[in-house]
Amino acid sequence: MEILGQHLFNGILIGCAYALIAIGLTMIFGVMNIANFAHGEFYMLGGFIAYYLVSLVGLNYYLALPAAVVLVVVLAVILQHSIFRRLRDAPLMTTTLVTIGLSILLEHVALMLWGPQPQSIPTPFPTKPLSFFGIYTTPLYLFSMAVTAALIVVGHLVIRHTSMGKAMRATFQNKEASALVGIRIDRIYMLTFAFGAALAAAAGAVLGGFIPVEPTAGGIITLKAFIVVILGGLGSFVGAIVGGLLLGIAEALGAGYMPTGWKDAIGFFAVILVLLFRPDGIFKRA
Amino acid sequence: MQTHKLFRMIVACSAISGVAVAVAQEPVRIGVVQPLTGPVAYDGNIYVNTVKMLVDAMNAKGGVLGRKIELVVEDGACNPAQSVNAAEKLVVREKVVALLGAFCSTSTAAMMEVAKKYKIPHITGISTAAQLTEQGNPYFFRAVATTPMLGEAFGGALPAAVKAKRFAFLVLNDDWGRSMASSYPKSIERAGGQIVATEYFQQSELQFLSVITKIKGSNPDAIILSANTQQAVGLSKQIRELGVTVPLIGEGSWTSDSYIKLAGPAAEGVYGLVEYVYTIDTPINQAFVKDFRAKLNENPSKFAGAAHNAINIVIDAIRRAGSTDSEKIREALKKADYNGIVGNIKFDDKNQAYGQSVYLAHVKGGVPEVVTTAKIAKP
Repeated sequence: MEILGQHLFNGILIGCAYALIAIGLTMIFGVMNIANFAHGEFYMLGGFIAYYLVSLVGLNYYLALPAAVVLVVVLAVILQHSIFRRLRDAPLMTTTLVTIGLSILLEHVALMLWGPQPQSIPTPFPTKPLSFFGIYTTPLYLFSMAVTAALIVVGHLVIRHTSMGKAMRATFQNKEASALVGIRIDRIYMLTFAFGAALAAAAGAVLGGFIPVEPTAGGIITLKAFIVVILGGLGSFVGAIVGGLLLGIAEALGAGYMPTGWKDAIGFFAVILVLLFRPDGIFKRA
Repeated sequence: MQTHKLFRMIVACSAISGVAVAVAQEPVRIGVVQPLTGPVAYDGNIYVNTVKMLVDAMNAKGGVLGRKIELVVEDGACNPAQSVNAAEKLVVREKVVALLGAFCSTSTAAMMEVAKKYKIPHITGISTAAQLTEQGNPYFFRAVATTPMLGEAFGGALPAAVKAKRFAFLVLNDDWGRSMASSYPKSIERAGGQIVATEYFQQSELQFLSVITKIKGSNPDAIILSANTQQAVGLSKQIRELGVTVPLIGEGSWTSDSYIKLAGPAAEGVYGLVEYVYTIDTPINQAFVKDFRAKLNENPSKFAGAAHNAINIVIDAIRRAGSTDSEKIREALKKADYNGIVGNIKFDDKNQAYGQSVYLAHVKGGVPEVVTTAKIAKP
């Protein structure tokens, strides 16, 4: 029973992070029609910049996390302005190739700047584990879960209840009509890209305390985020949240009660089933 | 016409003899293929820096056979194709007399075919996949114990050394991890221990919470792991964070400075099953550690130890062969009886090293102390 509880806890902890990363990916796809294969690199850069600020610059941990997110957003704005703005009407294939190239470039820049050594972000939390009814956790895990969950809620509120969110949803539904009623599409693209990058960077900065940060970490994160997005439906915000939690819990339980070699296969198997029987995702909504 | 021909012959002859004189004074060239980029670049660079440091010291004492030793280093990137290209270039263009490398067993397997093709002696100090020395390649020598040999030497000592009965395996899902999970249990069970769980993780993984939870459910007294630095850091931290307090016993980078520094408090109390650890208490090793610290500002890792073995064994063979002829070096290597930082090393008829010591080290206060040593038996 305790073991089952522990598996569920692990699943929700990782699932929140998956969801947070996938929200950005699904929005960038939905609004901008870009399948961003460099999305995991925003996660990796968030972690590395936070590590750099805490360890090498000596910045306070709670300041370093938002600072890392801001720096990644600056990078995202530069990328959007210099590359993706010019590719606004390019076919999906072109932008996909560009994002693949970008992911390789960012990975190697990180390799040159920080070297191949994995790094952990020093945190102010005590490392001694806490135990509730036999379920073990640490203050850092709880902090990570709280931050990722809070950011998911904030993201949801922004999309649902602000004029920026409404403009994003309008652009998602009909680009031309939105432009006709005065929504500045370029600005919406910029906001969407920066918003997605910010969420992934936040996940990287928070998780970097217990999952080592390394230059090649982005690839697997991008893959997991794509699984979540396909499960939840491309472009669906709620789908990304539920899909993220589902994947986290399915992986935890799958690894717990099946041979562990299958862990990564579970997500891909689910994707095949979804594509076969519900190609628009489990929660597709227009 | 006749005189013309004669003249030309004389010129040709003198040119050839001139070349011969130049060869005699040319340095002895040793080729090194190691990953200088890619995922294991950090450890590959340590290997290369160690060999450079040792060769500088040898040259300061007059080199070998009265000639200087010259290293030619190429990047193999832990990639079989790139390692083969590097080895071809070293043999054909750079005319090296011996090859050191690669690092990852798959790259070494590819590179040893080049050594066989050109009949150039090739030594690895790192690659442990058992099948490398099973192929009957007469030019390939391995100066390190394979995982099954380590398991045979140490499995029996583990239950007493870490005071445990129920062992769980948490190992990398590749050749290395799988050969650990198949070779240790026999000797552990003979010594009265039992195996309660065997779980695998993937090379790309950095988050191990679910597999740790599963291991925890089997209630082991000790966990045996295989991992390189980056996964070792994540594993040991996450194991402690999930409230598992039993001893960890690891093959791989579990006693290196970089692991101990990165894992912090989670490294405390970890046992490492290693081919080399810098705290070995012999004069030859102490001298090596002193030089290494002075030059490279850290403690030598097992990759530095591997480099020390490989270059010294090759130079020792060249000295005994009295020649840089590759056949003579190969024959000298077969008869090696080398005393180095991990004791005496000889090669069996498959060119696999035996006789050297291997170590069980315990991290205390950030320092890996040798708890038990075992000797690798002749296979």
